[in-house]
Amino acid sequence: MSLAAAAHGHAHHDDHNHGHGHLKLEYQPALPLLNGKLILWLFLSTEIMFFAALIGTYIVLRFGAFVWPRPHEVHLSEPIGAFNTFVLICSSVTIVVSLEMAKRNREGAAKFWLFVTLALGSVFLGVKAYEYNAKFAHGIYPALPHSQIYEKPDIYYASAVRTRLAEIKAPLIVKGNDVTDAEKEHMLICDLLLRSPADGPLPGTPAALTPLTGKLFEVNNADANTAQLQAIANEIMPHPDEHPVAIPEGTVPPEETASHGEHPKGLNDEYPWLRLPIMIPGGNMWASTYFLLTGFHAMHVLVGLIFFVFILFMRIGAANAGVIENIGLYWHFVDLVWIFLFPLLYLF
Amino acid sequence: MDHAAHSPTPHGTQHGSAHHDDHAGIGKYLAVFGALCVLTGASFWTYADWPVRWPFHDQPAVGWAFMMAVSCTKALLVVLFFMHVKYEASWKYVLTVPPVFMSIFLVLALVPDIGLRNREAFGGRVPSPERLANMAMPAAPHADDAHADHADH
Repeated sequence: MSLAAAAHGHAHHDDHNHGHGHLKLEYQPALPLLNGKLILWLFLSTEIMFFAALIGTYIVLRFGAFVWPRPHEVHLSEPIGAFNTFVLICSSVTIVVSLEMAKRNREGAAKFWLFVTLALGSVFLGVKAYEYNAKFAHGIYPALPHSQIYEKPDIYYASAVRTRLAEIKAPLIVKGNDVTDAEKEHMLICDLLLRSPADGPLPGTPAALTPLTGKLFEVNNADANTAQLQAIANEIMPHPDEHPVAIPEGTVPPEETASHGEHPKGLNDEYPWLRLPIMIPGGNMWASTYFLLTGFHAMHVLVGLIFFVFILFMRIGAANAGVIENIGLYWHFVDLVWIFLFPLLYLF
Repeated sequence: MDHAAHSPTPHGTQHGSAHHDDHAGIGKYLAVFGALCVLTGASFWTYADWPVRWPFHDQPAVGWAFMMAVSCTKALLVVLFFMHVKYEASWKYVLTVPPVFMSIFLVLALVPDIGLRNREAFGGRVPSPERLANMAMPAAPHADDAHADHADH
C-alpha cells in the first residue's frame, strides 16, 4: 500500500471527525515515497554538490594551469580506464536486475545478481589499486615526502637528482669492502652516470653498462642550462610521443606513434632502485587532483561494497525490496560520478 | 517486455502509486546498457581512433565538448532509467534541480577568476620549458644575460 493511498484514508478520517465540509482538503502528510528513499535522495543531493565541488575544482585548476601533463606522462592508461567504466556500467545493470528479482519475490535470483554487483565493484577497486600502484612505482604521489615530481628543469631539480645519487652511495661507501656484488654494481652505475663523457667509462666496466657513462653528467655542472637539464630529465623518465597532430591521409603512421605514446624506458624503469626525481610540468597539481577525485570515488565504491555484503545476509523479498532500491540508487550515483571522471581524467 | 503483462495501470495515470516501477523492465534496462556501452565507446573513440580516426586532435576543445555531451547523455540515461527518476512524482525536481544548479553555477563562478587566470599570460600559448624554468624570476630581456647573472652568485 502506498503512502499516497494511506494519506487519502487519513484525510477522510479527519473530515469525518470535524465535519466542516466546506473545504475538502486532501491532506498528504509526506512526499509520496518511503522515508528511507527520501533520506537517500536527500543524501544524494548533497553528494551531487560534494562531487560537483571536486570536479569543478579540477576543471578550473586544469584549465587555469600553464601546463598540464598528458595522460601518458603520468602513466595513465586509457584502455584500463575504459575497462573500469564498462565494469561499473555492468554493475549498474546487475543491481537493477537484482531489484527487479526482489520485487518478484525471487530471493535467490536477487541475491545472485547482488553478488555479481559486489564482484564487479571489487573488480573496479582491484583495477584502481593496480593503477595506483603503477603511479607509486613511478614516484607519482599526491604530495611530499613521497612525491618525486619536479615541475621544471631548474637548479632545484638538478640538486634533487644529485642528492638522491648521494643517498644511494653514502651507505655503500660506509660499508667499504663488505658490499655485495649487487651493491657494487649500484655504486658503479651511480659513478658512471655522473662521469664526464669525455673521460669514458671506468676501467673494467662491463660492456653492458658502458652506455650509461655520462648520462647525468650535467647535473654536476653548475652552469648546466635548462635544455641540458631537460635532456637529463628525459634520460630519467622520457616523455612519450602523443597523438601526432595531423597525419596526412593515406600515409602509414610510423611505429612509435601507432602505439599511442607508449612510455619509452628511462633510467628509472631500467634500474628501479634508482628512484631518481622526475620532471613532469604540472605534475604535482595533476597528482593532487587525480588522487583526490579517484580516491573519494573509490571510497564511495568501497562503502557500497560493504552495504552489499550486509544485504547479502538479509532476507530479501518483495516486502523489503526498498533496501535494494536504496543501495541501488547510491550505486548508480557512484557509477554516474565515474561517467564524468573517466573522460575528464583519462581522455581530456 | 514481460512486465507489461502484469502492469494493470496504464502509463502516466498513477501518481506515486506502488506500480510506478513496473514501467522499467529488464528489456529496457538492457537497452539502456547497450546505449551506455555505445556512448562509452564514443568517448573512447577520441583516444582510440578506431574504426576511423578522430578528426579533431588538433582542436582539443571539440573533443572536450563532445565528451562532456556524451557524459551528460550517459548520466541522464542512468538517472532516468536505472534510478527510475523518469517514473517518479514531482518531488524529484525538489531534490535534484537545486543541487544541479548549484553544481553548474559553482563551476561557472570559478571560471573567470581562477579557470582563466593564466589565459592571457602567454597569449594563449603553452610557455617554453626555458620560460617555465625561469618563471619565478623577473623576465630578463636576453636569456644570456640572465644566465650570466645567475652564474655570478
